[in-house]
Amino acid sequence: MSTDTKSAEKAKLAHECWSCGAMRAAHFCESCGRVQPPVPTDYFSFFGLPRKLNIDPKQLEREFYAMSRKLHPDLFVRAVDQEQSWSLEKSSQLNDAYRTLKDPVTRTEYLLKLEGVNLEEQSKTATETARAAGTQKKQMVPPDLLEEVFELNMQLEEARMNKKMGEDDPSLKTELADTRRRLDGKFNALAAELQRDWDEWDAVIARAESGEIVDTERTAVRDKMVDLVNRRSYIRNLVRDLNEVLGN
Amino acid sequence: MAYSDKVLDHYTNPRNVGSLDKASAEVGTGLVGAPECGDVMKLQIKVNPETKIIEDAKFKTFGCGSAIASSSLATEWVKGKTVDEALEIKNTDIVKELSLPPVKIHCSVLAEDAIRAAIGDWKKKQQDEA
Repeated sequence: MSTDTKSAEKAKLAHECWSCGAMRAAHFCESCGRVQPPVPTDYFSFFGLPRKLNIDPKQLEREFYAMSRKLHPDLFVRAVDQEQSWSLEKSSQLNDAYRTLKDPVTRTEYLLKLEGVNLEEQSKTATETARAAGTQKKQMVPPDLLEEVFELNMQLEEARMNKKMGEDDPSLKTELADTRRRLDGKFNALAAELQRDWDEWDAVIARAESGEIVDTERTAVRDKMVDLVNRRSYIRNLVRDLNEVLGN
Repeated sequence: MAYSDKVLDHYTNPRNVGSLDKASAEVGTGLVGAPECGDVMKLQIKVNPETKIIEDAKFKTFGCGSAIASSSLATEWVKGKTVDEALEIKNTDIVKELSLPPVKIHCSVLAEDAIRAAIGDWKKKQQDEA
Protein backbone atom coordinates (compact mmCIF):
# COMPACT_ATOMS: atom_id res chain seq x y z
CA MET A 1 0.00 0.00 0.00
CA SER A 2 1.41 3.40 -0.92
CA THR A 3 1.78 6.12 1.68
CA ASP A 4 -0.98 8.07 0.01
CA THR A 5 -3.55 5.34 0.28
CA LYS A 6 -2.42 4.62 3.83
CA SER A 7 -2.99 8.18 4.98
CA ALA A 8 -6.25 8.27 3.08
CA GLU A 9 -7.30 5.14 4.96
CA LYS A 10 -6.28 6.75 8.21
CA ALA A 11 -8.21 9.92 7.47
CA LYS A 12 -11.21 7.79 6.66
CA LEU A 13 -10.90 5.98 9.98
CA ALA A 14 -10.59 9.22 11.85
CA HIS A 15 -13.65 10.86 10.40
CA GLU A 16 -16.06 8.17 9.41
CA CYS A 17 -18.43 6.46 11.81
CA TRP A 18 -17.42 2.81 12.21
CA SER A 19 -21.08 1.79 12.40
CA CYS A 20 -23.00 3.73 9.77
CA GLY A 21 -20.20 5.21 7.66
CA ALA A 22 -21.34 8.80 8.05
CA MET A 23 -18.99 11.57 9.09
CA ARG A 24 -18.74 11.84 12.82
CA ALA A 25 -18.26 14.46 15.48
CA ALA A 26 -15.28 14.10 17.83
CA HIS A 27 -16.74 11.54 20.24
CA PHE A 28 -20.04 10.43 18.77
CA CYS A 29 -21.30 9.90 15.27
CA GLU A 30 -23.44 12.88 14.34
CA SER A 31 -25.68 10.67 12.33
CA CYS A 32 -26.27 7.54 14.44
CA GLY A 33 -24.89 8.69 17.81
CA ARG A 34 -22.57 5.70 18.33
CA VAL A 35 -19.42 6.17 20.45
CA GLN A 36 -16.33 6.52 18.26
CA PRO A 37 -12.99 4.84 18.95
CA PRO A 38 -10.61 6.82 21.17
CA VAL A 39 -7.86 8.56 19.24
CA PRO A 40 -4.67 9.93 20.77
CA THR A 41 -5.51 13.52 21.59
CA ASP A 42 -4.50 16.25 24.01
CA TYR A 43 -6.96 17.39 26.66
CA PHE A 44 -7.73 20.69 24.94
CA SER A 45 -8.69 18.92 21.72
CA PHE A 46 -10.66 16.37 23.71
CA PHE A 47 -13.03 19.16 24.69
CA GLY A 48 -12.82 20.69 21.22
CA LEU A 49 -10.99 23.67 22.67
CA PRO A 50 -8.15 25.68 21.11
CA ARG A 51 -4.84 25.60 23.00
CA LYS A 52 -5.69 28.73 24.96
CA LEU A 53 -5.54 29.26 28.69
CA ASN A 54 -8.59 31.36 29.40
CA ILE A 55 -11.32 28.77 29.78
CA ASP A 56 -14.77 29.48 31.15
CA PRO A 57 -14.98 27.07 34.12
CA LYS A 58 -18.79 26.96 34.04
CA GLN A 59 -18.82 26.08 30.35
CA LEU A 60 -16.14 23.42 30.90
CA GLU A 61 -18.12 21.93 33.76
CA ARG A 62 -21.30 21.81 31.67
CA GLU A 63 -19.43 20.10 28.82
CA PHE A 64 -17.95 17.65 31.27
CA TYR A 65 -21.28 16.65 32.78
CA ALA A 66 -22.98 16.45 29.41
CA MET A 67 -20.26 14.21 28.03
CA SER A 68 -20.09 12.11 31.21
CA ARG A 69 -23.76 11.34 30.92
CA LYS A 70 -23.48 10.40 27.26
CA LEU A 71 -20.33 8.31 27.71
CA HIS A 72 -21.28 6.57 30.93
CA PRO A 73 -20.33 2.88 30.61
CA ASP A 74 -23.69 1.85 32.14
CA LEU A 75 -25.36 3.06 28.95
CA PHE A 76 -23.39 0.57 26.92
CA VAL A 77 -23.96 -2.71 28.74
CA ARG A 78 -26.00 -3.96 25.82
CA ALA A 79 -23.77 -2.40 23.13
CA VAL A 80 -21.24 -4.32 21.07
CA ASP A 81 -18.00 -5.12 22.91
CA GLN A 82 -15.90 -2.53 21.17
CA GLU A 83 -18.33 0.29 21.86
CA GLN A 84 -18.46 -0.79 25.50
CA SER A 85 -14.71 -0.64 25.92
CA TRP A 86 -14.47 2.62 23.96
CA SER A 87 -17.01 4.28 26.22
CA LEU A 88 -15.03 3.11 29.22
CA GLU A 89 -11.75 4.36 27.82
CA LYS A 90 -13.23 7.68 26.78
CA SER A 91 -14.88 8.16 30.16
CA SER A 92 -11.55 7.84 31.85
CA GLN A 93 -9.93 10.17 29.27
CA LEU A 94 -12.72 12.62 29.96
CA ASN A 95 -12.10 12.52 33.71
CA ASP A 96 -8.37 13.08 33.28
CA ALA A 97 -8.94 15.90 30.82
CA TYR A 98 -11.44 17.62 33.08
CA ARG A 99 -9.36 17.28 36.23
CA THR A 100 -6.33 18.71 34.42
CA LEU A 101 -8.04 21.64 32.74
CA LYS A 102 -10.30 22.60 35.63
CA ASP A 103 -7.48 23.85 37.84
CA PRO A 104 -5.70 26.99 36.57
CA VAL A 105 -2.25 25.81 37.62
CA THR A 106 -2.44 22.19 36.43
CA ARG A 107 -3.93 23.57 33.19
CA THR A 108 -0.92 25.86 32.76
CA GLU A 109 1.56 23.11 33.64
CA TYR A 110 -0.14 20.77 31.20
CA LEU A 111 0.04 23.35 28.41
CA LEU A 112 3.73 23.90 29.11
CA LYS A 113 4.29 20.16 28.78
CA LEU A 114 2.43 20.15 25.46
CA GLU A 115 4.66 23.03 24.38
CA GLY A 116 7.70 20.83 24.92
CA VAL A 117 8.78 22.01 28.36
CA ASN A 118 10.47 19.31 30.38
CA LEU A 119 12.20 20.93 33.34
CA GLU A 120 14.24 17.92 34.40
CA GLU A 121 15.43 17.13 30.90
CA GLN A 122 16.24 20.79 30.20
CA SER A 123 18.13 21.17 33.45
CA LYS A 124 20.22 18.09 32.65
CA THR A 125 20.98 19.30 29.14
CA ALA A 126 21.93 22.77 30.42
CA THR A 127 24.35 21.16 32.88
CA GLU A 128 25.93 19.07 30.14
CA THR A 129 26.27 22.12 27.90
CA ALA A 130 27.89 24.14 30.68
CA ARG A 131 30.26 21.26 31.41
CA ALA A 132 31.30 20.88 27.77
CA ALA A 133 31.73 24.62 27.22
CA GLY A 134 33.27 25.33 30.61
CA THR A 135 30.67 28.02 31.23
CA GLN A 136 28.30 28.70 34.09
CA LYS A 137 24.84 27.23 33.91
CA LYS A 138 22.06 29.71 34.37
CA GLN A 139 19.88 28.62 37.26
CA MET A 140 16.17 28.35 36.52
CA VAL A 141 15.24 30.12 39.72
CA PRO A 142 16.32 33.71 40.46
CA PRO A 143 19.33 33.71 42.85
CA ASP A 144 17.67 36.00 45.40
CA LEU A 145 14.72 33.62 45.66
CA LEU A 146 17.11 30.69 46.19
CA GLU A 147 18.86 32.68 48.90
CA GLU A 148 15.53 33.40 50.58
CA VAL A 149 14.45 29.75 50.35
CA PHE A 150 17.74 28.63 51.87
CA GLU A 151 17.68 31.12 54.76
CA LEU A 152 14.07 30.36 55.56
CA ASN A 153 14.79 26.64 55.57
CA MET A 154 17.56 27.27 58.10
CA GLN A 155 15.09 29.11 60.34
CA LEU A 156 12.50 26.38 59.93
CA GLU A 157 15.06 23.81 60.95
CA GLU A 158 15.84 25.81 64.07
CA ALA A 159 12.16 26.16 64.92
CA ARG A 160 11.62 22.40 64.50
CA MET A 161 14.60 21.73 66.74
CA ASN A 162 13.20 24.08 69.39
CA LYS A 163 9.88 22.31 69.25
CA LYS A 164 11.54 18.94 69.68
CA MET A 165 13.57 20.15 72.64
CA GLY A 166 10.52 21.79 74.19
CA GLU A 167 12.20 25.19 73.97
CA ASP A 168 10.48 28.37 72.99
CA ASP A 169 11.90 31.17 70.88
CA PRO A 170 9.15 33.80 70.60
CA SER A 171 11.20 36.15 68.41
CA LEU A 172 11.89 33.41 65.89
CA LYS A 173 8.19 32.54 65.84
CA THR A 174 7.25 36.17 65.27
CA GLU A 175 9.73 36.42 62.46
CA LEU A 176 8.42 33.25 60.82
CA ALA A 177 4.85 34.50 61.14
CA ASP A 178 5.87 37.74 59.41
CA THR A 179 7.54 35.74 56.67
CA ARG A 180 4.41 33.66 56.23
CA ARG A 181 2.31 36.79 55.78
CA ARG A 182 4.77 38.15 53.24
CA LEU A 183 4.90 34.87 51.30
CA ASP A 184 1.12 34.56 51.36
CA GLY A 185 1.00 37.98 49.74
CA LYS A 186 3.57 36.97 47.15
CA PHE A 187 1.68 33.76 46.44
CA ASN A 188 -1.60 35.58 45.94
CA ALA A 189 0.05 38.13 43.66
CA LEU A 190 1.09 35.25 41.40
CA ALA A 191 -2.54 34.64 40.40
CA ALA A 192 -2.77 38.10 38.84
CA GLU A 193 0.59 37.61 37.15
CA LEU A 194 -0.55 34.27 35.77
CA GLN A 195 -3.70 35.90 34.40
CA ARG A 196 -1.58 38.47 32.52
CA ASP A 197 0.56 35.68 31.06
CA TRP A 198 -2.56 33.79 30.02
CA ASP A 199 -3.93 36.82 28.20
CA GLU A 200 -0.62 37.27 26.44
CA TRP A 201 -0.49 33.61 25.51
CA ASP A 202 -4.05 33.58 24.16
CA ALA A 203 -3.33 36.67 22.06
CA VAL A 204 -0.29 34.92 20.55
CA ILE A 205 -2.35 31.82 19.77
CA ALA A 206 -5.08 33.97 18.20
CA ARG A 207 -2.45 35.50 15.92
CA ALA A 208 -1.11 32.04 15.07
CA GLU A 209 -4.65 30.96 14.20
CA SER A 210 -4.93 33.81 11.74
CA GLY A 211 -1.80 32.55 10.00
CA GLU A 212 0.88 34.78 11.51
CA ILE A 213 4.31 33.39 12.33
CA VAL A 214 4.65 33.92 16.07
CA ASP A 215 7.27 31.35 17.09
CA THR A 216 9.48 33.83 18.96
CA GLU A 217 6.60 35.32 20.92
CA ARG A 218 5.21 31.89 21.64
CA THR A 219 8.49 30.74 23.19
CA ALA A 220 8.88 34.00 25.12
CA VAL A 221 5.47 33.77 26.82
CA ARG A 222 5.96 30.07 27.41
CA ASP A 223 9.25 30.66 29.21
CA LYS A 224 7.71 33.43 31.28
CA MET A 225 5.13 30.94 32.50
CA VAL A 226 7.81 28.33 33.24
CA ASP A 227 9.53 30.90 35.43
CA LEU A 228 6.27 31.70 37.20
CA VAL A 229 5.40 28.06 37.83
CA ASN A 230 8.89 27.48 39.27
CA ARG A 231 8.69 30.42 41.65
CA ARG A 232 5.21 29.36 42.60
CA SER A 233 6.21 25.85 43.60
CA TYR A 234 9.00 27.15 45.86
CA ILE A 235 6.70 29.61 47.58
CA ARG A 236 3.96 26.99 47.95
CA ASN A 237 6.38 24.57 49.61
CA LEU A 238 7.66 27.25 51.97
CA VAL A 239 4.17 28.24 53.03
CA ARG A 240 3.34 24.57 53.56
CA ASP A 241 6.42 24.12 55.78
CA LEU A 242 5.67 27.33 57.66
CA ASN A 243 2.13 26.15 58.33
CA GLU A 244 3.47 22.85 59.60
CA VAL A 245 5.87 24.57 62.01
CA LEU A 246 3.63 27.43 63.13
CA GLY A 247 0.30 25.61 63.03
CA ASN A 248 -2.53 27.15 61.04
CA MET B 1 10.72 4.03 47.15
CA ALA B 2 13.65 2.11 48.51
CA TYR B 3 16.93 3.93 48.78
CA SER B 4 20.20 2.16 48.04
CA ASP B 5 22.52 1.35 50.95
CA LYS B 6 24.94 4.07 49.88
CA VAL B 7 22.21 6.70 49.79
CA LEU B 8 21.03 5.61 53.23
CA ASP B 9 24.56 5.76 54.54
CA HIS B 10 25.10 9.32 53.33
CA TYR B 11 21.61 10.33 54.41
CA THR B 12 21.86 9.02 57.97
CA ASN B 13 25.52 9.94 58.30
CA PRO B 14 26.12 12.90 56.00
CA ARG B 15 29.73 14.05 55.59
CA ASN B 16 30.87 17.64 55.71
CA VAL B 17 27.65 19.30 56.75
CA GLY B 18 28.17 22.94 57.65
CA SER B 19 29.45 26.15 56.21
CA LEU B 20 32.65 28.02 55.42
CA ASP B 21 33.33 31.74 55.57
CA LYS B 22 31.51 33.08 52.54
CA ALA B 23 33.53 36.31 52.56
CA SER B 24 36.93 34.61 52.37
CA ALA B 25 38.79 34.94 49.06
CA GLU B 26 39.72 31.25 49.28
CA VAL B 27 36.09 30.11 49.57
CA GLY B 28 33.69 29.55 46.70
CA THR B 29 29.95 29.21 47.34
CA GLY B 30 27.39 27.56 45.09
CA LEU B 31 23.68 27.81 45.77
CA VAL B 32 21.43 25.88 43.42
CA GLY B 33 17.87 24.59 43.36
CA ALA B 34 15.53 22.22 41.57
CA PRO B 35 12.14 23.91 41.26
CA GLU B 36 10.27 20.69 40.42
CA CYS B 37 10.79 19.33 43.91
CA GLY B 38 11.69 22.48 45.81
CA ASP B 39 15.18 21.35 46.80
CA VAL B 40 17.93 23.83 47.65
CA MET B 41 21.58 22.91 47.93
CA LYS B 42 24.50 24.99 49.15
CA LEU B 43 28.01 23.72 48.55
CA GLN B 44 31.18 25.54 49.58
CA ILE B 45 34.82 24.84 48.80
CA LYS B 46 38.03 26.18 50.32
CA VAL B 47 40.86 26.30 47.82
CA ASN B 48 44.58 26.48 48.62
CA PRO B 49 45.81 29.60 46.76
CA GLU B 50 49.19 28.01 45.95
CA THR B 51 48.28 24.49 44.88
CA LYS B 52 44.66 25.13 43.72
CA ILE B 53 43.73 22.04 45.67
CA ILE B 54 40.33 21.96 47.36
CA GLU B 55 41.26 21.52 50.99
CA ASP B 56 37.84 21.64 52.52
CA ALA B 57 34.24 21.35 51.38
CA LYS B 58 30.95 21.81 53.24
CA PHE B 59 27.34 21.50 52.24
CA LYS B 60 23.84 22.06 53.48
CA THR B 61 20.92 20.65 51.53
CA PHE B 62 17.20 20.91 52.09
CA GLY B 63 15.60 18.17 50.07
CA CYS B 64 15.05 14.47 49.74
CA GLY B 65 17.45 11.71 50.80
CA SER B 66 18.94 11.43 47.33
CA ALA B 67 19.68 15.17 47.17
CA ILE B 68 21.38 15.04 50.56
CA ALA B 69 23.37 11.94 49.62
CA SER B 70 24.40 13.43 46.26
CA SER B 71 25.74 16.60 47.85
CA SER B 72 27.39 14.71 50.69
CA LEU B 73 29.17 12.52 48.16
CA ALA B 74 30.09 15.59 46.08
CA THR B 75 31.91 17.18 49.04
CA GLU B 76 33.78 13.93 49.66
CA TRP B 77 34.84 13.72 46.04
CA VAL B 78 36.01 17.31 45.56
CA LYS B 79 38.18 17.28 48.66
CA GLY B 80 41.83 16.74 47.74
CA LYS B 81 41.20 17.41 44.06
CA THR B 82 42.41 20.46 42.18
CA VAL B 83 39.77 22.84 40.92
CA ASP B 84 40.23 21.58 37.37
CA GLU B 85 39.95 17.96 38.46
CA ALA B 86 36.75 18.73 40.37
CA LEU B 87 35.21 20.17 37.22
CA GLU B 88 35.55 16.70 35.67
CA ILE B 89 32.98 15.22 38.05
CA LYS B 90 29.85 14.33 36.13
CA ASN B 91 26.36 13.82 37.47
CA THR B 92 26.40 10.35 35.93
CA ASP B 93 29.34 9.41 38.20
CA ILE B 94 27.17 10.28 41.19
CA VAL B 95 24.23 8.30 39.76
CA LYS B 96 26.46 5.25 39.41
CA GLU B 97 28.08 5.53 42.83
CA LEU B 98 24.76 5.93 44.64
CA SER B 99 22.69 3.69 42.29
CA LEU B 100 20.12 6.46 41.92
CA PRO B 101 16.90 5.47 40.14
CA PRO B 102 15.85 7.49 37.04
CA VAL B 103 13.39 9.66 39.02
CA LYS B 104 16.28 10.84 41.22
CA ILE B 105 18.74 11.74 38.49
CA HIS B 106 17.91 15.43 38.94
CA CYS B 107 19.43 15.22 42.44
CA SER B 108 22.78 14.27 40.91
CA VAL B 109 22.43 17.07 38.34
CA LEU B 110 21.86 19.46 41.22
CA ALA B 111 25.03 18.25 42.95
CA GLU B 112 27.11 18.74 39.81
CA ASP B 113 25.57 22.20 39.39
CA ALA B 114 26.51 23.01 42.98
CA ILE B 115 30.15 22.00 42.44
CA ARG B 116 30.37 24.07 39.26
CA ALA B 117 28.63 27.05 40.85
CA ALA B 118 31.02 26.96 43.83
CA ILE B 119 34.05 26.78 41.57
CA GLY B 120 32.61 29.54 39.38
CA ASP B 121 32.17 31.75 42.43
CA TRP B 122 35.74 31.04 43.56
CA LYS B 123 37.13 31.80 40.09
CA LYS B 124 35.25 35.07 39.99
CA LYS B 125 36.81 36.03 43.30
CA GLN B 126 40.29 35.31 41.94
CA GLN B 127 39.65 37.55 38.91
CA ASP B 128 38.28 40.32 41.11
CA GLU B 129 41.39 40.08 43.29
CA ALA B 130 43.75 40.30 40.35
